[in-house]
Amino acid sequence: MSQVSRQQCEDLMRMAMGTRESSSANPHGNLWPAQKSGANSNSTVEEAFSSLLTGIVCDALANALGRYVLDILASKGLLDDSDNPKQFDRGLQSLFGNGASVLERIVVKDLYRRLSIPYNSDAGFDYEKSLETAKEVCFVESRLK
Amino acid sequence: MSGGEILSTLLASEVRGDLLILFHKNPGLIDTVDGIARRIGRTTITVISDLRELLLLGILKQKRIGASEVVFLDRARDREILELVANHLKTVQIGGAR
Repeated sequence: MSQVSRQQCEDLMRMAMGTRESSSANPHGNLWPAQKSGANSNSTVEEAFSSLLTGIVCDALANALGRYVLDILASKGLLDDSDNPKQFDRGLQSLFGNGASVLERIVVKDLYRRLSIPYNSDAGFDYEKSLETAKEVCFVESRLK
Repeated sequence: MSGGEILSTLLASEVRGDLLILFHKNPGLIDTVDGIARRIGRTTITVISDLRELLLLGILKQKRIGASEVVFLDRARDREILELVANHLKTVQIGGAR
């Protein structure tokens, strides 16, 4: 996967936010593009989810630790793995230690808020499982639309 | 305090992460502890110790306005702290080696 620069990060954020804002193109106001058929549809949802997640990760890091830190993390390639939970978790752990789980919770909380999935801070937390749940919701939502 | 220690302090809990995001998204925010807790969807008792840590670090400041004690972001100190964190992160490699 290619390196994610801050500019790309900002573009992804705009894309992710834009899908929600463009109500004329998407009367349901959901995050997902108009449905295509079969495997094409799955990959479209997959791509939309990946863009949304990368945008949220950039947003979380920039809002928590500032744009400069986001730039550094992007230059280190951390954001290249933002849609691969295992790799991303490993990268975060090596940079932030125990703080990694705090950042992951922030990401999941925002992701769940955007997908209208209830989030419980007190419940046990698994980043990978949380993303799987979110992805499932996206697939179900895209089929229903 | 080193950049690494500051980073550990900043990201010691989910509440602290929420507080950082609240103030970075709203750098001009001035509110009471109760108000801040409400803004991040928590109770005063659950945020008080994390707020105290951020006050000790200097990222947040406290002052009295009328009858209320309010908390706000010290932008200059925040910049300083985030720069220390950034400089620390520059020296850390993904994968653990330093």
